Amino acid sequence: MADAAHPHAGHHDEPGFFTRWFMSTNHKDIGILYIVVSATLGIVAVAFSVYMRLELMHPGVQYLNIDGEPNGHLWNVLITGHGILMMFFVVIPALFGGFGNYFMPLMIGAPDMAFPRLNNLSFWLYVAGATMAVLSILAPGGDGLSGTGVGWVLYAPLSTTEGGMSMDFAIFAVHLSGASSILGAINMITTFMNMRAPGMTLHKVPLFAWSIMVTAFMILLALPVLAGAITMLLTDRNFGTTFFDPSGGGDPILYQHILWFFGHPEVYIIIVPGFGIVSHVISTFSRKPIFGYLPMVYAMIAIAALGFVVWAHHMYTVGMSITQQSYFMLATMVIAVPTGVKIFSWIATMWGGSIEFKTPMLWALGFLFLFTVGGVTGIVLSQAAIDRSYHDTYYVVAHFHYVMSLGAVFCIFAGVYYWIGKVTGRQYPEWAGKLHFWMMFIGANLTFFPQHFLGRQGMPRRYLDYPEQFTLWNTVSSYGAFLSAASFVFFFWIVFYTVRYGQRVTEPAYWGPQPDPTLEWTLPNPPPAHTFETLPTQDMWDHSRSH
Amino acid sequence: MAVTLRPNRSLTPAVGTGLMALLAAGLAAPLIGLAGTKVAWGMLPFLIAAFAALYAALRRNQQDGRLSEELKLWSDLITVVRREPRGQILSWHANPFWVRVRLDPDARLENYLTLQGNGREIELGAFLSPWERESLYRDLMDALAGMRTARN
Repeated sequence: MADAAHPHAGHHDEPGFFTRWFMSTNHKDIGILYIVVSATLGIVAVAFSVYMRLELMHPGVQYLNIDGEPNGHLWNVLITGHGILMMFFVVIPALFGGFGNYFMPLMIGAPDMAFPRLNNLSFWLYVAGATMAVLSILAPGGDGLSGTGVGWVLYAPLSTTEGGMSMDFAIFAVHLSGASSILGAINMITTFMNMRAPGMTLHKVPLFAWSIMVTAFMILLALPVLAGAITMLLTDRNFGTTFFDPSGGGDPILYQHILWFFGHPEVYIIIVPGFGIVSHVISTFSRKPIFGYLPMVYAMIAIAALGFVVWAHHMYTVGMSITQQSYFMLATMVIAVPTGVKIFSWIATMWGGSIEFKTPMLWALGFLFLFTVGGVTGIVLSQAAIDRSYHDTYYVVAHFHYVMSLGAVFCIFAGVYYWIGKVTGRQYPEWAGKLHFWMMFIGANLTFFPQHFLGRQGMPRRYLDYPEQFTLWNTVSSYGAFLSAASFVFFFWIVFYTVRYGQRVTEPAYWGPQPDPTLEWTLPNPPPAHTFETLPTQDMWDHSRSH
Repeated sequence: MAVTLRPNRSLTPAVGTGLMALLAAGLAAPLIGLAGTKVAWGMLPFLIAAFAALYAALRRNQQDGRLSEELKLWSDLITVVRREPRGQILSWHANPFWVRVRLDPDARLENYLTLQGNGREIELGAFLSPWERESLYRDLMDALAGMRTARN
């Protein structure tokens, strides 16, 4: 029998700096760590893209020369590094690991994650993987130079035949990232399923928490497939197996199928947590409850399910039968239905609302515009016949940057501005947030919209040079990239200023009265280390009961 | 009076089974296309590991929630039997006439509920929500008062 102890408020010991940040098992601290590390890696990945746009600003090879000769391997390394870092180590860790860790347990009233030490392990596996990814750029690679240049998709036979150990580093980096994501997903699912506050049934869970659950389940289905595929790449490279080598009965096209069976859901793994954030932001700044809560939940589930049955639209040109192509065309277009449900529900939430254009709302609206543009070009690309022309052109680059990178990055910024007061206890200067938004919005559109034109003109992806005819839109695109990069630097200044000198926010719900406030708004800013050690009561989160 | 207290667990067995079935189906799906290739065998260990990992996690979390406290009150005896998640059983008993029940609203654990008697003070329902402990406190006080009145 547990003997009574009478601990009174404020009893918790304060951990030291090293204990708090290097040995943390606290979901809030781990969430912050994920965001900080992913932002740091984001600087590297953005620097790569700025360097690439600098090179592409004018025809001819200006910078990527060795002994005065253009060197394609350097270019390929930049492309691969940018892709691997952004796909595995920046966007997902920020949205799923960062915001997911910090806010999902708070929203469902759980005291922490189900397995706090496993959470710590997930984070450090992620750091180890990121370190491997950066090291792969420096390790001896193909063409007798450093780094791997096969692209983030690691297609065989390029990946199985490239010399050096850089490719192996990259594979291990993805392995570690995958292990981290799978362990994180198991933790999230267990927490979500088993630790919701009393009375919080599945149809009453806040949309962001739902988005994390859907993402976690997708990770659990998709990442083991990738882990299997790249392990086979590794054995093909190092142990003489021939899983993807035709000379031994293997099939390199099968690798593409497996890669995209993971890769297409990966797109939704990236964006679905963003859907959750945007739903809360739009509801808060429209002063209306979210329109169509249940359709929003089931649209996320439908998008996740459909995301697993459309993969081959990435590879229409590999020689599939017409019947197969027709199926993948139709299945791809069907995704527009649940996506439309979400877009129209967000618009309906704003309809008739008392809209306030604060910074998080601007980012959410920016996301709506960019994601819709990217979605529409996705429908264009889903047509196998049209894809014949656009495949591997800049049209595809423009499309996936609109949906994935811009869509997801705008969600990250919406989340940062929405919750920074909650996390740090200080608020950002509103003018600075708005300036950041407009710089990024104009810069991003200037970067990627002209790439549609380049794709339509026939400019192929993954080349470091181009004929003079493509100069105009490349130059415009590069100026856009520089503006976006400047906005990124400005963002870091805003975060520094906010944490150091920002105005203190004492009101727990500092955005004013919300139509349907979630549990994190009942906590002080920043929340104490230990929250909801006593279960929240239903009237704290179920506002339909208190009305 | 007899009451059994258990911590909150939101996963019902039916939903848990459905979730695992969905995961199994989802993980098996890529194997359909890979059937007959050696790649299927390369993939299989990873898919099984993912399934086993979630199963183990849910089971462990469910087991951690198998904590219970059983309180029984007779006219001459009050007992509390606590079953730990790993099966350990702890018990306490006292004469209800001398038992003191205390509810501390200012404790770090809001509405911290304790029973004092037989030379010990034990906590009760520390895993419950504050309002559940308050409700239990009221029920217990009523039961003890009724019993003492009857004895007098």
